[in-house]
This record gives sequence, C-alpha cells and structure tokens, in this order.
Amino acid sequence: VTPLAIRSYRTLIRWLPASVRDAYGDEMLELFTEQWSAARQTGRLRAMAVWGRSVWDALRQVPREHWLVAGRYSHEESMHTFLSDLRFAARSFSRQRGATLLVLLTLTLAVAANTGVFLLLDDLFFRPFPFRDPASLVYLNERAPKWNLEFTGVNFPDFDGWRKRTHSFDALGLIAAGNFNLAVDGAAERVQGASVTWDLPRVLGIRPILGRAFTAADDRPNGPNVVMIGSGFWRTRFGGARDVVGKTIRLDSAPFTVIGVLPDAAEFPGGVQLWTPLNGDTGQKFTSYAYEGIGRLKPGVTIERARADLLAAQEPIWRERDTAHVVSPRIMPLREWFVAEYRTTGQVLGLGVVLVLLIACANVAGAMLARTSFRKRELAIRAALGASARRIARQMLTESLLLATIAGVVGTAAGWWGIRALLFASPDQLPPWVHLEFSWRIAGFSIGIIAIITALFGAGPAIDARRQGVRAALAAGDLRTSASPGQRRMLSALVVAEVALATVLLVSGGLLVRAYTNLKAVDPGFRADGVAEFRLALPQAKYDDGPKQRRLYEALIERLSAIPGVVAAGGVSCLPFTCHWGNFYTAEGSALKPGGQNPVILTRVASPGYFAAMGIQTVHGRTYLASEQRPLGELFPVVVNAEFARLHWPDATDPVGKRIAASGSKTNPWMTVIGVVKDVRHYGLSEPMRPGIYLPMSFLDSTQSVASLGFAVRTSGNPVAIFPAIRSVLHEIDPELPVYQLRTLQDALDASLMGRRSLMIVLAAFAAIALTLALGGIYAILSYVVGRRRREIGIRMALGAQRGQVIRMVVMQGAGLMSAGLLIGLPLAFASTRILTSLLVGVSASDPLTYVVVTGLLGLTSIVAAFAPARRAASVNPTSVLADGG
Amino acid sequence: MRRHWFYILLSLAERDRHGSAIMRDVLALTDDELRLWPVTLYGSLDELCREGWIRAVPAPPPGEGDADAGHKKWFRITAAGRRALAREVTALEGVVRKAQRRLAPSGETS
Repeated sequence: VTPLAIRSYRTLIRWLPASVRDAYGDEMLELFTEQWSAARQTGRLRAMAVWGRSVWDALRQVPREHWLVAGRYSHEESMHTFLSDLRFAARSFSRQRGATLLVLLTLTLAVAANTGVFLLLDDLFFRPFPFRDPASLVYLNERAPKWNLEFTGVNFPDFDGWRKRTHSFDALGLIAAGNFNLAVDGAAERVQGASVTWDLPRVLGIRPILGRAFTAADDRPNGPNVVMIGSGFWRTRFGGARDVVGKTIRLDSAPFTVIGVLPDAAEFPGGVQLWTPLNGDTGQKFTSYAYEGIGRLKPGVTIERARADLLAAQEPIWRERDTAHVVSPRIMPLREWFVAEYRTTGQVLGLGVVLVLLIACANVAGAMLARTSFRKRELAIRAALGASARRIARQMLTESLLLATIAGVVGTAAGWWGIRALLFASPDQLPPWVHLEFSWRIAGFSIGIIAIITALFGAGPAIDARRQGVRAALAAGDLRTSASPGQRRMLSALVVAEVALATVLLVSGGLLVRAYTNLKAVDPGFRADGVAEFRLALPQAKYDDGPKQRRLYEALIERLSAIPGVVAAGGVSCLPFTCHWGNFYTAEGSALKPGGQNPVILTRVASPGYFAAMGIQTVHGRTYLASEQRPLGELFPVVVNAEFARLHWPDATDPVGKRIAASGSKTNPWMTVIGVVKDVRHYGLSEPMRPGIYLPMSFLDSTQSVASLGFAVRTSGNPVAIFPAIRSVLHEIDPELPVYQLRTLQDALDASLMGRRSLMIVLAAFAAIALTLALGGIYAILSYVVGRRRREIGIRMALGAQRGQVIRMVVMQGAGLMSAGLLIGLPLAFASTRILTSLLVGVSASDPLTYVVVTGLLGLTSIVAAFAPARRAASVNPTSVLADGG
Repeated sequence: MRRHWFYILLSLAERDRHGSAIMRDVLALTDDELRLWPVTLYGSLDELCREGWIRAVPAPPPGEGDADAGHKKWFRITAAGRRALAREVTALEGVVRKAQRRLAPSGETS
C-alpha cells in the first residue's frame, strides 16, 4: 500500500502544468519518495518534516510554474501562433461555408437582439435622471378609490397643507404640464411648457444658466407674467443672446417677461421649453385636482416614513374639508412613476431576449459539438503530426473567438441601429427621456455576451480535444459508424432545451398576436375612415369668457363644413384617446346607492356635428340639433353614453327623458337626457368602457370656459387632402391660433395601439428566430446522427429494411426530440404567461387555439427538419457502404 | 543569477548528474544549508534547459555505479552554461575582494 504521504504528494504534482508534469513528474515523485523513505527510517517526526517541507515547496512552486508556462505564450511567438491560428480558422470556416454562416447568423441575431433590448431597458430603468441625487426625488399624487381613480392629480390646497406640515422633504414642488400658443411673426406655434411652483428648481437641484429663477413673489394668484425659457428655446429663438433677460414674448396672446434661462435638464421629461409660475390659490373654491407633485427627500428618509408623514399632514384636511376620506396622498420614487407603464413591456422583452440568447447558445454549442466530432480525425492527425493538446485547444478557442468577435461587433451595431429604427419610427410610444444613445455600458454588456459565448462553445470542443489522446482518436476504428453515447445525449439534450425555450416564446408571441388581432377587431365606437382631427387652444387673454369661445368654435365649424368634400364637422372638448375631464353627477331614479361608489363621469362638450363627423351611432333618442344651441328654458339637454345609461338605469328600456344634475352644486340645473349614443373607447381599445356624457355647446354660455377644443372633420375623400384647407381656414379666423395634433383619426387609432404593436412585432420576431433555430437544431442533430449511422443503416437495408422504414426511423427520432421539448416547454410556457396577463386583452393565457397552433407548428417543423436527413438515410446504398469498410 | 541556478550549474560543472544526485551534491556543497526540494529542483532544471545553460542527456555515462540511474534524466552543462557560471564566479570574486577589504582591520579601529 502506498503511504498517504506519497499519495498526497502525487496529487500535488498533478497540479503542475502539463509540460512540466509530463517531463519531470515521475522523477519529482521518485525524489520525494527517496527522501521521505530515508527520513522514515530515522523516525516518524523527521519523515513528517520532509513531507511538510516538500508540500510547502510544491504549493509555492506550482503557481510559479503555471506563471512561467503562461508567460512563454504571451510573447511574440505567441502572437505569431495566434495569427496563424486565425488564418487557419478562416480557412477552416471557408471550407464549411454554409455551417459557419449559420452559426455566425445565429450568434449575430442573438447579440443584436440582446444589445437592442438592453439598450432600451437600460435607458428606461437604469440611466439616472439628469438631476442631482436623482434617487431622492419622489413623485406625489392623490388617489380616490371611491371615484374609481388611482391618480386624481394634486389639489393645490392639499399641497399647501403638505408643504406646511411635513418634515420629510427638503423641498416640495408642483408642476402642471401644459402647452402655450407662442406668437411668432404674425403666426402662432404651439410650444410645450409647464407651470411650476416657484421653488421647483430647488427641488430638482438646478440653477438658471442666465438671469434668475422664480421667487415667491412671482408665484401667487394674479402674479406677474414672467417666464423662464429652456436652453433649447433660448438657442433656437434668441440665438443664445446674453441679453435675452428682460425681453418679452407673447404666450397665449399675453406678454410675458423672460427672467431667466433654464439648463438642459429642465427639458425633462423631454421637450419642455418654458416654465411659468403656477400661481396656485390656497383659497380656491372649486376642488380641482390638476397638478403633479415632485419632492426631494431629506437624506436618510425612507419612502415609508415620507408616506406616513404625508398622511399625517392630510389629517386636518380630512377633518375639515374631506370628511369622507375620499382623497388621500400617494408617493413613490420618481423613476417608478415614469416607468410604471413600461414595466410589463420591459419584463417581457428582457425575458424574451434572454430566451433567444439561450436558444442561440444551445444551437451554437450543438453545432460546434457536432463539428468537433466530425473533425476528430483531423484533430487526431494534427496531434499525430506533433501538435500538443494545448495547441489544438488554442486552435479551437481561436476559432470560436473569431466567430464570437464577428458576431459581437456586427450584432452590437445591428442591435443599436435596429432598436433605433424600430422605435424612432413611431416616436410617441416611448418616454421622451429615452434617447437610445450608444453607451459603453451596453458595449460592455455585449462584450460580456461575447465572452460567455466564446467560453461556452469554445470550451466544449477544446476540452474534448484535450481529453482525446492522439492514440484514442486515431485508433478508434469506428470513426464513421456511430457517435459516442455521451455526445449524442448531450446533443439531444441541447435540442430538447432549444425546443422547450422556443415553445415558451412561440406561445407568448402567439398570445400577443391573438390579443392584438382581437383588439384590432374591437369596435372603437366611431368610424375612423375619412376623418381628420386636430386641436385648438384659445388664449385666456383674448377669449376670456365662454360665449366668446363658443362664437369662435362655431364660426370655425361652419367654415370647416364649407370646405369642399367635407361631409360633417364638429368639435368636442376631449377627442378619443386624448384628455380626461371628470365630474360627478346625480341621476334621477339611479340604481346606485347614495354614499357608495360614485364613479367619475367622463364629461365632454360636443357640438351638433361631432357625432356625425365621428360616425358615433345613436342608440336611443337623438343628438344635438343646430337649433338647440340655446338652453331649452331651464333644462339643459344632455346626451349620455350607453355605459352611463347602464350604470344608472339598468332596467330602463329607453332612458330618454330622465334627468341628471351635477353633484354637490345648487347652481347647476337639472339636465334632460335627449339621447343615448354608443360608447366610444375613450381611454384606448384595451381599456374598459367608462360612463360618460356629452354637454351641448350652450354649456359655454354660462360663462364656463372650455379653452381647448378638438375637432373632427369627415370628408368623402382622403382626409389628408384637406389638411391645408383646415390650416388656412383657421388662419383666416385668427392668425395667432396654431392648429396642432392635426392627423387622421385612423392615425390616432393606430397610435393608440402602437406600443402594443411594437411589442407584439418584437416578440413575434423572437418567436420566429426561436423557431428557425429549433428547426436548424433538429436538422443538425438528425444529419449528424444519420451521417454517423450510415453503416448501421446500410446493414439494416441489406437485411431487408425498406426505404419507408428508414425514413420513418429518422422522422420518428426528430419527432421524439420535438415531443420531449414540447412536454417540457408547454407547462413552462403556461407558467411564464403570467407576466403577460396585463397585456392579454380578450384572450385567456390558456387560449387553446394558441397552444394547438404552436404544437402543430413545432410538429410540422420537426418533419421539415427531418426531411433532408431522412432522404439522405434512405438513399444509403448498402453495397457501397459495406464494401467501403466503414 | 538565482542561488539555485548557481549551485546546480556548479554541481554539473564537475560532471553530468541526474536530479537526485544534483540535490545531494548541492546539499554537500552548501554544508547542508541549501536543500533543493523536488518541485523547485526540477522546475529550476527545466528553466535552465530553456535558458540553454544545461541540456538533458539520454544515457548515463559508462562506469556510473548508481543502480537505478538508468531510467533517470541526466543533465549536462553547456558551453553557455559554463560561461555564465564563470561570469558569476568572477563577479562573486570581485564582491568577495571588496568585502574583504571592508572587513579587513584598518588603522583607525581600536
């Protein structure tokens, strides 16, 4: 029995670099044994000392030897080796052009998909906002479950209470995004701006780059007309002139004095060109929830503490004004607010792209594995001619490095370009702070992917080549008869995994496609063809009361109707998919219990022509007549939507004649329902229908102001053709009024589905890639197996097997792999559709059709993939194979 | 020059030796002070070979009494190795002379 001391020393010797170990390992052990045995004669202790010193020596020297060996390769000679390896790789690839291209394409696609998606996700979720310490910025709003609203907007007196009574914030500000009509040389433009509380710059941590910021004196009811302009605005409109402070610009037909220029960051979230003071009124009578809050937490304060602080600050308001606790404050990190609507999309994309990468890696690993075993003979010959195992491994690694580098560089560029092309083609679906600029972080990410890929499919063959001794490979007489069982199992496992992952992608993509087609088929409640729409905003300075506004709107509608080809024209305060104006109403004989749920009613003002122009159908009664523009005595006529009628009078067959009134107001008179119209999907095709009403234009006579109106113009021809006519009509009426959001109704409808459509396209593309890769994987393994089993097939055929049987055998093998993949993939797909639920409108996550189609598709794929290998198998000529000797 | 290398070259300068003989010789040369443990010994021999100062020789020289020496690697110092050793010895001589001068009792010391 070998003593433990010697065995342990032998183990240590094995850790030496192969070159040293092969040359001196035996002698080292021998020398140690000599010395140890000699010491053993004189005593146990001396032997242990010798063992200890030798082990210590080995432990110190083994790393040094590795270092030396590695160093020998890092010199000029090594570079030369690398270049010759590279040349050899290029030659070897050009010999197998098809297979190499396939691998290259697979890798490039995977890297491109990864780069593109992660560029987007990085921009959306991780790139810091352009403010000092952005992590401490929070978003404030209010919620009112009783009104069925998760976000009501902030009420100014509520905000004032928070500002005075909280202690968690360094600063609190309010912002109201808005647009301004900017007068430019006798015409007008619509510019994006915001009204802000005076200390918002302090909240965000920004300073004016010129002039001064707002002061408390600027920000009060009836405060001075002052404006801070954005840096972009300053450069384009004033050429960056230093003397801009003190100049006057005309906003909404009133003069505003420029007091300062904002830094670039103030354009956040994007495109904001002007700031004016909010001029909030703490004593405001009507409860308007119109603003959004931004706060900066004091250092060390958590969101939870700030939330408790806010709720405490709300207490007095609940005691005095809001005894029913209808509205309560809410707070969240600023980032969370901005990315909330992209969260699901982000998860789906991230997961999808990881699946694609996994599939690609499995595919490439399989391809390389099959390739190495085909090249076993070549490698064996090279080894026999004197190539060391190390040298061969290096060669294999160089080959995969070459492939991975090409795929990495091309894929990164393609991914960057692709995501920009895909998303900037339709700019409205992304938050404006997403610029998709090339980032080194993502480049690093791609390099990481390359490294993983290199390691993955370079290491396998390299280890294989290393392990395979020269003799073993050359001596193997069965070089072309059958694959080693281990290798075949490995290949099969890779293909099964590929199919399983592809199933997940196919099911997800299929469900999204189904949801999208379902949505496309949803009746929006209007007829989109042939309609142009636009928006108009009236400046308070010039159109300061309702009647004035109404006169302008009606004059405009009259002129619009007179444009040749126009069939109908009308105005509405909120066009579909745009704004929201909510109110509460009491209905006579309502089914709703007082004090319970009181949903907000979408309230719109509509002109008589609006319903015809939009093609909104009347269910009961009628819509407004032109002759109805004056109030009918004490009674306003009102048109309600079907959902409103269903909500309040579920049993009534015809709600015409019923009366409703605005809640909580004694001055608002009862209004009589004159008609019920079909519901319009105001919040988007996938959103639930909400109850809504249409008030007549005469609503404006009661000095109520509707400063902004949307218009719909139906033509008998192409709506785009009347765009110039619309512009010139408005210019004739008031040149200071800009037309904006001029587009066809069809475009508006498409835009509302755009985000969903892009996600569906991307995921469908992923699914298509996955399917192609799975097909390639099955094809590759079947061709490999058939190639290896030629001899066996020849024997079978010589023994009387029919061509049909041989074909069936190959096809069944493909089908077997596919079934195994499906067996794993289908439950996996079902489980992973959970993250899709919010996107699946009108289709269930277990939609049988999708699963059946996916199964059928994959089944078909396995047959297609098996076709060529099966034919090759069937064309094996028994005599030639057997005569060949294998 | 590293200390191991010097003694290995010195040992081989006398005659060809195999690993364990070198080890014993070095031990004797240094009065049991420097013992070359196996990995260090063969690692150094490998490096010296690559340096071109020694080379492996296949057969044991005739008349060698070592019973099991036949299967061992024997090493021989090359001309370059001798030159390197001579250079080192010359350098050492210089150092030793200087050291002796400094250590020699001078007039000032008591």
